[in-house]
Amino acid sequence: MAKKVGVTINGKTVKVPEGTNLIDAASQAGVEIPNLCYIKGMRGIGACRLCLVEIEGGRGPVTACTTKVKDGMVVNTDTEQLREMRQFVIDLILSMHPLDCMTCTKAGVCTLQRYAYESEIKESSFSRKKFGYPPDESNPFIKRDPEYCILCARCVRVCKEQGTNVLDFMGRGVGAKVVTANDKPLHESGCTFCGSCIDACPVNAILEADRWRKGREWDYERTHSVCLLCGGACDTVISTKDNLIMKINAGGEDGSVQRYICAIGRFGYDAVASDKRVLSPLRRVNGELKETTWEEALQLLSERLTKGKASILLTGALMNEDISTLLKVAEDVIKTDRIATTVSLYADEESMKDSDTADIDSADLILLVGLNPSQWKRVHPSLDASIRRRLSRGARLVSISSEAVDIGEVADITLRGEEPGLIKQIAKSMISKGMKANKELSELTGDTDTTEETERVADLIKEAERIVIFTSPALFRSVRNLSLIKKMDIIAVPNEANARGVVLSGIKPDGKLLKEMIEGSTEVLYVFGEPPVERRPDTGFLVVQSPYMSNLAREADLVLPSTTPYESSGSIVSFTGRVKRLSRALRPYGEAKQHREILASLAKVMGKVIKEGKTDIKKALKGRSKPSPSPFEKKEGLEIDEARFMEETNSCVINSSRLLWLREAEKAVGV
Amino acid sequence: MMEEKARPMTMKDVQAKAEEKKCPVQQSLVFIEEFLAEPMCGRCFPCSMGSYEARIRLRRIVEAQATEEDIERLQRIASNMLKASMCKKGKDTAQFISEKITMEEFRRHLNGECPDMECKSHIRFIIIPERCTMCGLCKDVCKDNAIIGEKKKPFLSGYLPFEIAQKRCTKCGECIKVCPEGAIIIEAIAVSEEKVGA
Repeated sequence: MAKKVGVTINGKTVKVPEGTNLIDAASQAGVEIPNLCYIKGMRGIGACRLCLVEIEGGRGPVTACTTKVKDGMVVNTDTEQLREMRQFVIDLILSMHPLDCMTCTKAGVCTLQRYAYESEIKESSFSRKKFGYPPDESNPFIKRDPEYCILCARCVRVCKEQGTNVLDFMGRGVGAKVVTANDKPLHESGCTFCGSCIDACPVNAILEADRWRKGREWDYERTHSVCLLCGGACDTVISTKDNLIMKINAGGEDGSVQRYICAIGRFGYDAVASDKRVLSPLRRVNGELKETTWEEALQLLSERLTKGKASILLTGALMNEDISTLLKVAEDVIKTDRIATTVSLYADEESMKDSDTADIDSADLILLVGLNPSQWKRVHPSLDASIRRRLSRGARLVSISSEAVDIGEVADITLRGEEPGLIKQIAKSMISKGMKANKELSELTGDTDTTEETERVADLIKEAERIVIFTSPALFRSVRNLSLIKKMDIIAVPNEANARGVVLSGIKPDGKLLKEMIEGSTEVLYVFGEPPVERRPDTGFLVVQSPYMSNLAREADLVLPSTTPYESSGSIVSFTGRVKRLSRALRPYGEAKQHREILASLAKVMGKVIKEGKTDIKKALKGRSKPSPSPFEKKEGLEIDEARFMEETNSCVINSSRLLWLREAEKAVGV
Repeated sequence: MMEEKARPMTMKDVQAKAEEKKCPVQQSLVFIEEFLAEPMCGRCFPCSMGSYEARIRLRRIVEAQATEEDIERLQRIASNMLKASMCKKGKDTAQFISEKITMEEFRRHLNGECPDMECKSHIRFIIIPERCTMCGLCKDVCKDNAIIGEKKKPFLSGYLPFEIAQKRCTKCGECIKVCPEGAIIIEAIAVSEEKVGA
């Protein structure tokens, strides 16, 4: 831990870690130092000069974003001189900014508006300037309007830091403009439409494309939630009005490298109100799906479940509370132990159960084993962005993979080859560098030769203080050996949001059972969510409980409308081992109900009273088994095409939202 | 082989260029224009936005459209730029301008005077009829056809001295350079108007 130093800001003394800048220190003292260009977590650039403060005994005003605290520092943020300088800058910015706050979408959350209000500036006292740059409205995601731009560079820096790197300045001074390479429209520039620039923009220069006349910011209700559309389980903030989602922003902690969501997480909500939704129970009558009531639907289901042996298939996107109710109902009411999960397609029990809890933000060395995260291919996009951001802030990266890896371009060391062998060599190198290992492990590494590169990796490991390894679940066992030599956090990265929660709730990922259900024959198949199954499996009765009319639901005998994550509440366990909570942002559409409500009603129809599930997930998280030496091998049968899996499990979301446009555009450009 | 590149303009060059002028308003304007054209990095707001605004205000003064307000704004820009700019370049620019603003000659521009006869909107070119020999050299060099008169032929009489049509004259100064008699002079507009009025 960094040493703490005392600093007095406007008469208030606080203790902050050494190396903190004055803006962050002041916010701990409850003092807000105005700024337009500072981004928490990133190095200050001192461009806007709004954060100028006076330090007692100092020569003149200094920028708070670039000044680190020193013990005993006495800082004043609000003197006559400083106020005049701030007003001067705001006055100048306003002279080149449209004064249309009355219709501006950003009104209410615009930083410039707030500072103008605080400095009591109605309109600029300087000459009006206009540059006449046209807006870029060529895509349905992000609208860029240079007229509003105040040149704070936040978007450019955020885009660069996360490695997407499509925005930059053209020109300098007041006439500068934020552009893509060759000033092309965004969709031809390599932009992934993650919208990090939207979150970064303090004014109305970069905004969601469809926000015009969709309600004022102060009319929105904000709900903290989690995106469940891939393994990333990113935090989100959902803004709603009149039971419609108006926008979704990244919700990670301010300053964290994990404050990122991809285009699917940000714009996939269109599907909630699309015609792809199932809004009432449907049953097959004479070969066609017809609307029915919940009563009838549950009656039918109860009859079928009593007659035939039930098999249950659930995805890894279900919430813990739903899973625990499901387990209870399966045991006490449906009386079946045939429960398979899509988690078994890519992970085994051990990797999901024994992964550590880790924080990318504090890692100084990251190892990627057998993973190829990519923002552009939308495979673990948030992991890719977070790692790149962490690297920009000083961490190091080693990539170990048998394939070429996109993120390798920014890695300190890239090792190509069969992963188990390479890990074995790294272990051996570590031991040869004097790091201690027990006898059993030393014997396991015994017969291998080290290379110059694995020696270098071992050096990095030796120097590092906080090591986090992200591995594909198939290699978890092998990688875990390294943690017997030096303390490090090892995380197997799954492809669905709550894969760890599914396994920790007690469902064993059984690949054989899943295969039997999909390819073999079953009496009754009860499917939860949207598994990547395109064709109806051979079954006597197919029940699909899903928010969307998936291809599988289309062929079902009974479709039960469940809620989307936006209409649900509950918790999940993210791949980094955090229990994350979702709150209900929307009232359920139509007759949709949450999985556990449906299950409780079903139990009632079948004559049992089931209380909605509580989970012991936190306790389960602590019950990790200790690592023990194991052979350096890759577990077979867990290879999937990750990009395809992502597409298939989210096909309804992608096909019934503006993301469809993106897919077509990418095809056209040939990505 | 590397091609020899023109040396980038430094702050010293900017100042030297500005000091080729005599009028403090002209000096300030040249300074700001050269500064914006090259050495300014544009990294901090007070300097990049302040210099841009200063240029607008200085041009107003040069064009004889300025009021007391323009000088006040310039003062505000200079004093804030001096304190709030990130680097020495911005501070130097602010320092240069703030020194010039306080000069008496600077303020006199508000009354339509340019004591150093450099601000074109404050001056006009006239031909002194007594000195004009109607040689026609000035008429030949005038790009704007602003000189009216007929070139004198030695064996004829009845010629009138040349005149400058003020509406067409762009005050480029070429005629002064060629006049062998020193017949063309620069006059302050404000002064000559007073004369007319008197």
